[in-house]
Amino acid sequence: MTRSRHIWAFLFLLLPVTFYLVVVIYPLFSSFYFSFTDWNGFSQDYSFVGLDNYKKMQTDRLFRNAIENTVIWTVAAIVLPTAGGLVLALALHERGILSRLFKSLFYLPICLSLVVVGQVWIWIYQPDFGLINVVLRGVGLDNWTRAWLAKPDTALQAVIAAWTWQQTGLAMVIFLAGLTAVPRELTEASQIDGANYWQSVRHVIVPLLRPASIVVIALAVINSLKSFDILYMMTRGGPFHSSDNLAMMVYNESFQKYRMGYGSTVAVVLFMITLVVITIYFRQQRGLEQLYD
Amino acid sequence: MRRKTGLHLLLLALIVLGIGATSVGAQEKISIVHYFSDVLGKEAIGKIFTAFNETHPGYEAVDNSAGHEDFKTQILVTIAGDNPPDVFSYWAGARTQFVVDAGRLMSLADFWEENDLDAIIPEGVKAAAIYNDDIYLIPMNAHLTGFWYNTKVMADAGITKMPETWDEFKEACVTLKEAGVHPISLGSMNRWPAQYWFDYTVSYTAGAEYRQKLMAGEAKYTDPEVVTAMEAWKELTDLGCFAPDSNAYDWTEAADMVANGTAAMNLMGTWISGYLNGLGLEPGVDYDFFPFPVINPDVPRVTHGTVDGWVVPENAKNPEGAKALLLHFVSKESQELWAVGQGALAASTAVDPGIYSPVMAKAAEHLASVMFLGGYDLSTTPPMAEGGLDMFAMFMNDPSGYQEYLEIAQEVADDVFGG
Repeated sequence: MTRSRHIWAFLFLLLPVTFYLVVVIYPLFSSFYFSFTDWNGFSQDYSFVGLDNYKKMQTDRLFRNAIENTVIWTVAAIVLPTAGGLVLALALHERGILSRLFKSLFYLPICLSLVVVGQVWIWIYQPDFGLINVVLRGVGLDNWTRAWLAKPDTALQAVIAAWTWQQTGLAMVIFLAGLTAVPRELTEASQIDGANYWQSVRHVIVPLLRPASIVVIALAVINSLKSFDILYMMTRGGPFHSSDNLAMMVYNESFQKYRMGYGSTVAVVLFMITLVVITIYFRQQRGLEQLYD
Repeated sequence: MRRKTGLHLLLLALIVLGIGATSVGAQEKISIVHYFSDVLGKEAIGKIFTAFNETHPGYEAVDNSAGHEDFKTQILVTIAGDNPPDVFSYWAGARTQFVVDAGRLMSLADFWEENDLDAIIPEGVKAAAIYNDDIYLIPMNAHLTGFWYNTKVMADAGITKMPETWDEFKEACVTLKEAGVHPISLGSMNRWPAQYWFDYTVSYTAGAEYRQKLMAGEAKYTDPEVVTAMEAWKELTDLGCFAPDSNAYDWTEAADMVANGTAAMNLMGTWISGYLNGLGLEPGVDYDFFPFPVINPDVPRVTHGTVDGWVVPENAKNPEGAKALLLHFVSKESQELWAVGQGALAASTAVDPGIYSPVMAKAAEHLASVMFLGGYDLSTTPPMAEGGLDMFAMFMNDPSGYQEYLEIAQEVADDVFGG
């Protein structure tokens, strides 16, 4: 590369790199910095409190609750859309014109913003005229009706169901793309050798879908860790924190309670967890690349 | 070449004319951020801004509104980022105190004195403007809380005299239940509507002074006084006075229950009046108001509510414009427009009392007769308020665990106030 091309490359990179530094790197380091302070988000004055915020987390009931909910949310976000997406992909792969319609229908929710999804499901869960309770009453199961989003034992699960409804379509599309790379002769060979459909899925198709599965699972984990909008829309972490995850807790501490220092500490923990997950993902990816090379 | 020079001259002339035109028509912008984003509030405040722009040709009021919850975040971010508006609306009480303590608001004591606001703002409302012995907030309106009831539902159940004591109130609940309606609707989805139950049960059993101590962290949520208050509240839940699943509805849905007659009454602020009027109900005919009943006759009555006001950030870019706007807000015309449009009680006594509906006049009369105290979330610090609001929602979900909820609230108080 000539010197002038280096200069041009530098000039072209300058704007996005500056933008990245200002919008991502600076706030990231600010969060680390403020996690050692008692800043309230308003004042120009604050004090350094050392590791006090980190010590406080160890005994904080709300932090423990947010961690538990984040784990439940993440596991559900991995298992449900992934399993649902795989089943749909297998059902709709190479099935003619009607399957194209169903593929579009199942993919449609991912095109909606999470705020819209949240609002639609708020209506579905509405206790008086919401679809679920109306259907339950219609089939005589009045005892099963409840205020789904207002009860601490159902609120988180209700939001997870809405999330799954949206995310399954994305998993389905990635698995469908993966299925096109599965050589037909392998499944045919397994069937000639006496394998039934499920045995061929279990022992031939699923192992060959490993690259797609890694993408689906990594996206599910990352999306679930950063999920905030649908929770904010549907429950705001309530009732009384029963559906709080770490991202919601960062918001509550920083902007509702005006404890930016402690909110930053929770944000740092969330960042660390996400970093671990991303590292595992990249290692898996590298392993796959080496395998295919 | 000549043509080029001609073009350059023409361009220069246009630029000069443009600058001239701009400077001739220049208006100083006053940026405002407020939380009056509902239909009624937006319409009324819009008219006030239009009138200001017409009567103050040198200024242009630039109106930005956000919903209550979004506003809380938005204003924090703009102030922390040193990019504040020139004026913003704020809730008097602990929230304003918080911003004052952070050194982010401009003192308005001189403005108050210069314009002799003592002549039009009554003492009780002025108290909401004072922080650290200085004036930082210009009150726009006061809202008090009480019971708003459906007159037909009450009459159908045979209740013609509204309850004044706790026993009469419980009796009315039982009568209404027997008549097949929910006696009380409560929409505590966003938690705050439940706070008034706590406010009144504490203030009407332990007294206003004790409540102020509790708000300041000088008393404990596990004290017998608070337990007694929660037990009074629980008497009503035990009687089945509340419509089920309070936490599933917001305050407007709870108001709808009163409007459509599925519930008889709702403990809410005067802003509900504007909402009910908007539904086509006639004040004094379809709905009416009565104050919270006395629980202990030895404890003086108070009213809990909200004062909405305007504050000016310390580093506002246009403080003079901001003050011109503040003066416009407290003018008789704006106050009347606002009180009628928003369904609020004007902060200024200069308004014509005839503007109020019979129901609002009744509320105004009550306000004048008792001590005014802010609602729970405006009386204690924001982190404590969050803990308390959780407690109220937990109580409405399962009242039987109230003692455990009080212990949790005290844990929060210990953390916040360093107990």
